[in-house]
Amino acid sequence: MKKNIFLNSNLLFLFALVLLLTNCKRDKSEDAKPASFPKNGVVFIDGFSAGLEYLPYADSYFEAFTVDEVTKQKGTAAMRFDVPNVGNPKGAYAGAIFPDNGGRDLSDFDALTFWAKSSVGATINDIGFGQDFGENKYEVSLSGLQLSTNWKRYVIAIPDASKLSREKGLFWYAEGPENGSGYTFWIDELEFEKLGTIAQPRPSILEGEAVTVNTFIGVTSTISSLQQTFNLGNGQDQTLNVAPAYFEFTSSNPAVATVDALGVVTAVATGSAVITAELNGVKAAGSLTLNVTGSFDLAPIPTEDPTSVISIFSDVYTNQPVDYFNGYWAPFQTTLGQDDININGDNIISYTELNFVGIQFAVDQPTINASSMTHFHIDIQAREVIENGDFLTIRIVDAGSDDEIGTGDDTSAEITLNETNLIHEEWYSGDISFASLGLTNRSNLAQIIFVSDATISSVFIDNIYFYNDGSTGGPMGPTVAAPTPTQADVDVISVFSDAYTNIAGSDLNPDWGQATMVTEMLIDGNNTLRYAGLDFQGLQLGSPQDLSGMEFLHIDYWTANSSALNTFLISGNTTEQAKALDVPTSAWSSIDIPLGDFSPVDLADVIQLKFDGNGDIYVDNIFFYKTPGGGTGPTMPAPDPTRDEADVISVYSGVYMDVMGSDFNPDWGQATVVTEEDISGNSTLLYTGLNYQGLQLGSPQDVSGMEFLHLDYWTANSTALNAFLISGNTTEIPKPLGVPTAGWTSIDIPLGDFSPVDLADIIQFKFDGNGDIYLDNIYFYKEPGGGTSPTSPAPTPTQDQNDVISVYSDAYMNIMGSDLNPNWGQATVVTEEQISGNNTLVYTGLNYQGLQLGSAQNVSGMEFLHIDYWTANSTALNAFLISGNTTEVPKALGVPTSGWASVDIPLGDFSPVDLADIIQFKFDGNGDIYLDNIYFYKAPGSVEPELPLGFEDGVNPLLAFDGGAYANVVDNPQTGGNPSSKVVEFVKIVGSAWYSGVVFDESLRATPLIDLADGTVFTVKIWSPNAGITVRMQLEGGAAPAYEVFQTVNTANQWVTLTYDFTSQVNSSDTYPRFAIFPDFDTSNQNPVAVEAIYFIDDIIQQ
Amino acid sequence: MQKPLFSRTSNLLFLVFISLSFLACEREEVQTVTTFTNLTFEDEFAGTGSIDAASWNVDMGIGNAISGDGWGNNELQYYTDRSENIKVEDGMLHITAMKESFMESNYTSARINSSGKLEQEYGRFEARIQLPWGQGLWPAFWLLGNNIDEVGWPKCGEIDIMEYRGQEPTTLIGSVHGPGYSGGESEGKNYNLANDRFDTGFHVFGIEWGPEYINYYVDDVLYNQITPDDVDGAWVFDHPFYIILNLAVGGNFVGSPNESTVFPQTMLVDYVRVYGLSN
Repeated sequence: MKKNIFLNSNLLFLFALVLLLTNCKRDKSEDAKPASFPKNGVVFIDGFSAGLEYLPYADSYFEAFTVDEVTKQKGTAAMRFDVPNVGNPKGAYAGAIFPDNGGRDLSDFDALTFWAKSSVGATINDIGFGQDFGENKYEVSLSGLQLSTNWKRYVIAIPDASKLSREKGLFWYAEGPENGSGYTFWIDELEFEKLGTIAQPRPSILEGEAVTVNTFIGVTSTISSLQQTFNLGNGQDQTLNVAPAYFEFTSSNPAVATVDALGVVTAVATGSAVITAELNGVKAAGSLTLNVTGSFDLAPIPTEDPTSVISIFSDVYTNQPVDYFNGYWAPFQTTLGQDDININGDNIISYTELNFVGIQFAVDQPTINASSMTHFHIDIQAREVIENGDFLTIRIVDAGSDDEIGTGDDTSAEITLNETNLIHEEWYSGDISFASLGLTNRSNLAQIIFVSDATISSVFIDNIYFYNDGSTGGPMGPTVAAPTPTQADVDVISVFSDAYTNIAGSDLNPDWGQATMVTEMLIDGNNTLRYAGLDFQGLQLGSPQDLSGMEFLHIDYWTANSSALNTFLISGNTTEQAKALDVPTSAWSSIDIPLGDFSPVDLADVIQLKFDGNGDIYVDNIFFYKTPGGGTGPTMPAPDPTRDEADVISVYSGVYMDVMGSDFNPDWGQATVVTEEDISGNSTLLYTGLNYQGLQLGSPQDVSGMEFLHLDYWTANSTALNAFLISGNTTEIPKPLGVPTAGWTSIDIPLGDFSPVDLADIIQFKFDGNGDIYLDNIYFYKEPGGGTSPTSPAPTPTQDQNDVISVYSDAYMNIMGSDLNPNWGQATVVTEEQISGNNTLVYTGLNYQGLQLGSAQNVSGMEFLHIDYWTANSTALNAFLISGNTTEVPKALGVPTSGWASVDIPLGDFSPVDLADIIQFKFDGNGDIYLDNIYFYKAPGSVEPELPLGFEDGVNPLLAFDGGAYANVVDNPQTGGNPSSKVVEFVKIVGSAWYSGVVFDESLRATPLIDLADGTVFTVKIWSPNAGITVRMQLEGGAAPAYEVFQTVNTANQWVTLTYDFTSQVNSSDTYPRFAIFPDFDTSNQNPVAVEAIYFIDDIIQQ
Repeated sequence: MQKPLFSRTSNLLFLVFISLSFLACEREEVQTVTTFTNLTFEDEFAGTGSIDAASWNVDMGIGNAISGDGWGNNELQYYTDRSENIKVEDGMLHITAMKESFMESNYTSARINSSGKLEQEYGRFEARIQLPWGQGLWPAFWLLGNNIDEVGWPKCGEIDIMEYRGQEPTTLIGSVHGPGYSGGESEGKNYNLANDRFDTGFHVFGIEWGPEYINYYVDDVLYNQITPDDVDGAWVFDHPFYIILNLAVGGNFVGSPNESTVFPQTMLVDYVRVYGLSN
């Protein structure tokens, strides 16, 4: 990183030097220009700008970003981001960077600007620029950006543009679901601009606080909470989290404390120093004052042999992972602090306000097996004077054989230190034998707990580890040989074992770049492999091995200090598969891994083994084997199925009524030998030497009401196996089955996987592949209660009727006169069923089916098509929307369903269908479909208000002003003379301003509300409790001046229409973003309102 | 009637005259325009110290000159003549609003007027000012009719050359108040600065006021003209007015400061110049 900075700052100089040396006659000053980068601020207008890339975060939902040509603020396209639901297996959040890796010169701009909106009100977690998947040197993050369902313009200020002369990171964001639900947001017209209105920079560090700390020579810490705040052109402040490279850090006394470019502070001598910062010449609020009290004597450096140590916290040894160094156990713990002190590279735990605290390694991390260790070591320094009666108890907890703390088999032992051990500011080094502690069980150590009951409140702790002092247990290795294997030679292919003839020519230590030290050593007269300091380690077989006749891989291993160990099998096609081994061991551990566990490794061509993980591992007896005489047949029958007979159509099973008259060995020319074996009294089909094999059902079966095909199979030697389902129209589809198996394998194949096989007419099965296959329990089934029809109605929709155009639903007023079953030549049978009183549309035997709307519908104001559907047997289903110009677009629906499925299809997905003229629906596919709640809807209030304003959607686009006057949309209480159901109620309360009124909320629209080209006369319906009042209307906020017209209400307590003619005043080419209406505008009485008055306003129309 | 926008470069008066003449022909309107080149008053705020008492009166307290408390607008500041609130330094007038408890108010600031010292009918009034910023700050450069004590407000007339809300740092408001068009009903116009703001540098705020017209300009942009046709009442701008410069905190027009408002805030005035009819 530093190298880059150096090259960067000296670029001009180096460049000039090179030219000078290579061509002395040339005038260097003309050619020696620093590299320049495009001054292109455009990120995304209607597509990717030159050089722009999209790189999602590795663990994010990759499909979140698309280019949307339907929803956009301007031009032809916008960026669309689909935030996933909680628990989406493809990624729990949306996030990406958009870099131009060629670099841009952004130094002439002052902000990143864009338009954005969201499908629901939402808050973007983090958004900004300056991330490049590299240094992220000039990263800027705005947290908590609030979006609404209307397009609005947003600005993210640049903290110091002069830094951005070669910036790659143009845009990034990270956003999770809102209240558990996914949603969509859009960004458009994304570009860097020079606004000229970004002002009043107020940088800060440490949240603007003057922080003072007492510390020691050698301690390092990092300046945090780096922020820049601006006042934007709209008058609002914006605070950004910014990278340290924007700041210049300064130490008032570098002889006492230094600070580097990244804000890392190091205390170097006794004294005081103040660390401050500037951003672009402006002093940052906040400072860090260091009082360096002197040097600090570190704890003694441990000297135990690392191979005899299991370390929890030390800079000398490799530490085992822990859950935490402070569990902050509620509610009684007061202790603060953890592993947060670093003195000259030595990490120290600091606990303050200590009453009790625990270090845990039991839940997120494995417990520790210290059974081969003899001692516990800890260094403790009291940070206060120890008085008589002060104590510190150290308790070590073993979780017991269940490996879980808090259960009945936990044990613990403890030691208490007091004023005889602990001295103020001096290290106490404890080497405590387990024998003296009496901790017998230590195979599952889980916690170390410190208790002082607040008698000692501040301690430093270092070098917590378990070790073997050599007095017992010997060195950190096995003292006995691995157990001698007992498999017969004929059943074994051996890699490394004294008991067998090993594969010739294997390389036990191929150089794959590993750090592991490999030695072959004699233990108890037995050759043993030792992997010391394992990172990874290969083992190259002397020749490729065909293991398809084998069943298991056997390994003996021993390790006292490993916390992770995997073994891999690797085949010639470079496929490898890992298998985790339990570590550490308390003695030699023997494992027999079914070779099926290494699928998809090609067992016929295994060339290598590999180990990875950590620690020191002893390995012996690595060989493949099969069970005696077998490896070729199961010794136990397949497990008996347990499904209810009523949910099953069985082909071959000893448990169910099978389809009568099936032929299990039709002569299709196959070489396979078919027999039926009796295994413990259970009949089992055996295909020996499979090439292919048919199975002819006694009669065609309609399995369209079923959901799955179940098979149990067993094979030790097959390397390929497919099952086929075949329908009467000779359609067949294969389904590969995992082989070989380790014991019986049960598989439940969704029948949809066999699409387009006709599930209503299944006549045959077929298997192909190789090897010897045992088969049992071949049957179709459905889930209980599943089946062919729903038992409960579709969920009742919750959208407001005002936001809905409904085609088929009991919950809404449907379009009148629709034909649910127009005759378009289809085979589908259409019926209507009541499910718990809810009308439901049923398509039986769907091929295709139309639905003719009673009248053409304009749904361009809507956003989604909602459909509820249910099907147990469909394998294909499409919904079509059809417009009057005969354009139709299909939308595939996921089938079959488990229960009712609800889809909300963005209407943009049906483009180019004319949404202003929808005349029909169509469905095609197969199976039996239940449909309900077919309607179009929009999110409430998500459509921009426009003239005329009738308020019938219940949304109030008017803001009231001033001094407490308020306005709401209400049910029309005065229907005489105005049958409208919704009107605006405007209340001039006592004390509100004399000029109070309502004004259109221009933030609801991306474009001006009023285009005078559409008319310069406006009418407004108003109901006033008083006659003779003046009602002023004003056009406001445009480039041209505001204009006003006054009208008078002559009649009280009835609806009147006022006409405001601006024709003589205005220019019809002007636009205005808002209007204001001022009921009872009385300039002769400019006093606060003395008597409350309620006005109703409706139907604001541009004539 | 469409109100024209003009661009002023080196010689505002000349350009205005030409443009009006041109439009006048086209629209068959006759507009009298007078040129004001005779410097009648200037305060360049040179040197360092207190304000020149020969030119200015310093208003104190919470005001009752127009109507009621808070200078008629429920303003929150207490005006003082302390150097913390008003001083001349580095060639500038500093009017500083502070957040402090003072005489039962929570803010202090300053206000000066030229009543009895500079009172003039018609002319060109301009000042070069850098404005403060933040919610609740309300600086103003304005004129009040010198007959206010006889006829009262708004009959005396008020010409607001510059008003501004600290929370809208790009928006200038210029307006007139008179009988029938005062308070919230004044006649005027907002001017939005493009790609700049009023608190980051100096801007010249001015009017040219003659019989039957007041032209409003900022820097080199003429952005509004108000004539007797524009006001809903009598034209009360044919007698001498005096100048007021103040920085108010809070009040009806601007709202109260909030936790985001940074104090102290200073309005910096480089100069005030007044011109009359030449010869």
